Amino acid sequence: MKAVVLHEVTKSFGSHIAVNRLSLEVPAGTVYGFIGPNGSGKTTTLRMIMRILHPDSGDIRVLDQQSLDAASDRVGYLPEERGLYKQMKVREILRFYAELKGCRDSKASIDSWLERLGLAEWANKKVQALSKGMSQKVQFIATVVARPELVLLDEPFSGLDPVNAEVLREAVLDLKRDGATVIFSTHDMGVAEKMCDFIFMICKGQKVLDGTLKSIQDTYGSDTVRVHLDGNTEPLDDIPDVVKVADFGNWQELRLERGADTQRLLAALMARGKVRHFELAHPSLHDIFVRIAGPGVEVNQHA
Amino acid sequence: MRKILVIAAREYVAAVRTKSFLISLLILPLMMGGSILVQLLLKDQVDTTEKRFAIVDRTPGQKLYGVLDAAGRERNEKTITDPKTGKQIKPVFAIEHVEPSPASAKDIEQQRFELSERVRRKEIFGFLEIGPNVLEYAETLANSKTPDAQDMLELPPLPPSEKVIRYQSESPTFDAFNHWADGVLNAAVAESRATNAGLSPGKLKQIREPVALVTKGLSKRNPQTGEIEDAPNQNEIASIAVPGGLMMLMFMLILVGSTPLMQGVVEEKMQRIAEVLLGSVRPFQMMMGKLIGMVAVSFTLSAVYLGAVFWSAHRYGFAQYIPADVLLWFLLYQMLAVLMFGSLFIAIGAACTDMRETQSMLWPVMLLIALPMFVWLNVIREPTSTFATCLSLFPFATPTLMLARQAVPPGIPWWQPVVGVVGVLLTTFLCVYAAGRIFRVGILMQGKGAQVGELIRWVFRG
Repeated sequence: MKAVVLHEVTKSFGSHIAVNRLSLEVPAGTVYGFIGPNGSGKTTTLRMIMRILHPDSGDIRVLDQQSLDAASDRVGYLPEERGLYKQMKVREILRFYAELKGCRDSKASIDSWLERLGLAEWANKKVQALSKGMSQKVQFIATVVARPELVLLDEPFSGLDPVNAEVLREAVLDLKRDGATVIFSTHDMGVAEKMCDFIFMICKGQKVLDGTLKSIQDTYGSDTVRVHLDGNTEPLDDIPDVVKVADFGNWQELRLERGADTQRLLAALMARGKVRHFELAHPSLHDIFVRIAGPGVEVNQHA
Repeated sequence: MRKILVIAAREYVAAVRTKSFLISLLILPLMMGGSILVQLLLKDQVDTTEKRFAIVDRTPGQKLYGVLDAAGRERNEKTITDPKTGKQIKPVFAIEHVEPSPASAKDIEQQRFELSERVRRKEIFGFLEIGPNVLEYAETLANSKTPDAQDMLELPPLPPSEKVIRYQSESPTFDAFNHWADGVLNAAVAESRATNAGLSPGKLKQIREPVALVTKGLSKRNPQTGEIEDAPNQNEIASIAVPGGLMMLMFMLILVGSTPLMQGVVEEKMQRIAEVLLGSVRPFQMMMGKLIGMVAVSFTLSAVYLGAVFWSAHRYGFAQYIPADVLLWFLLYQMLAVLMFGSLFIAIGAACTDMRETQSMLWPVMLLIALPMFVWLNVIREPTSTFATCLSLFPFATPTLMLARQAVPPGIPWWQPVVGVVGVLLTTFLCVYAAGRIFRVGILMQGKGAQVGELIRWVFRG
């Protein structure tokens, strides 16, 4: 079953095309990551799935329903721009959101989520007393308190410290274990690589990547070599077959021309210094992202 | 509908719990009670220092000075202290006799100047000059006419200076002395004239006894007994105060009910709460929830106020002036008015990104709300005039003006409130519809507010 199906969806604001003929299928029970540069159309796509924005053309089906009204109680949405009523108490606001989703008996769910995210003792405090990280966790609970089948999270981890980010990551994976479908957008490629079953990348309103991490990396082949040289101070980009060097200080990532001879590269490197590490690798998601969305790159559909 | 009610319940609780609700609950009684209290408190806060007045009596024998002096002594003894507390509450009027100058115009001018100089030196507060001929009277009064309202602003032509009492001071707003002296002297003048005409002072008093004018409603026949019943007494103050008070209450309830809606929407935009809510409800549900919540808030307020009004009406015996059916209309108008104006306020809130921006969009709406306040007295005085009828059928004015007209006995033809309510219903529907369209687009807009042109486009094209 598909949790979300988009077919040829287009949305423009004035003369600006925010999303261009986008088709996408999100299988139920998976974690789907939306990546893409700022202003590429991630939030617009999520808002269209939520029917907060209406597409100019194309079809959107959510949980097998043409109209979201029929399914909206089964969908949880955490927008990127999010706030809470400051004067309300944490428990009140969670009960309010649960009731909006038609969940009347929400006490047990609220208590267990507050406990899980370490907010139990804040349940009766006003929202204005919470720190930013705590508010963000309360917002997350508000999104999932009514046990939605589909959860849309727009930048759920932004602005969180590593400890809180880890807590939320665990919570998202728990949602998946409980059978929910999770779609989230992120700028953190590491998070996307680790958490997502599928990754979808949008750039300038167009789909540029869509698939599992492995299928995406396979598309880009093994054109990357990670090396660590002792005693070399010279730049490596004059070595034949090396197209691009990403210098990370202790180690360098070299991108090779298609069909380059790695033995010849190893020999050239040995001539420069002592080779401590030499690894043929898939390009990282970060690298792929930069290749697609970096300055001066023309967008064309890869997947 | 369930979602609308969840939103309405939250709005209601959030509004009722705020300090501003408590303030708006208390403000009307506080303002009314406060002004009475302040008046009571300030009643005693008068300047009680002695005020000295020079009297120049040019009448033959200076008889009027004697009367004034005697009356002044009596006043200073009997009326300037509060009989209960014994505290002085009015200033002493010290009367000083000044010998009149010779009767030539130049001498009179000179004397007035000298006395004026004494006022400037604060030796006396003012001076009174009684013309020599004030005791005389003409056998027939020439062309005296009662001044109507038109003439009030123009000063009537003065009689010749020999026949006036003239008071000069540098404090034209202090009128306690001249009013007092006016009464004392005119009574004395009338008495003297009467005596000259051969009437005894006692007879004069009898002649001058005023006749009461009683205002009554219409007589009617009791359908059971067939007998004609006397018309009820009419209290002019009550028949203006009741419709006026109901109008003021309606005006206040509209403001109290509508402005928080706008603030709420702006807050939801600024705090970025709106989009979180839109994940669960349609914009129209969100707006209707807010409106219904606010109608409930304003009903809470009116329940408190109308309850208090009823209680005091029964207690102080003016319940007969509050017609029960008008109160039912009041609640209907109140609900429609809060929906109608509330949706406009919501639309403004959705179109703006902060409170400052709302100000310029607000004033046309405020003008619509305040419009009835400019004409209320005319409408209440002549509730069946064409002007009042037409204006009260203007939907934005109907909730206040039609209500006021209905509250004035004997009421208005039944079809007029019905037509009015139909008009208000249609307008409310249009306002809610248009506001819903504006709200849907505006609620997610950040950064800059919308222009009026844009708003109109949103209404028609979404």
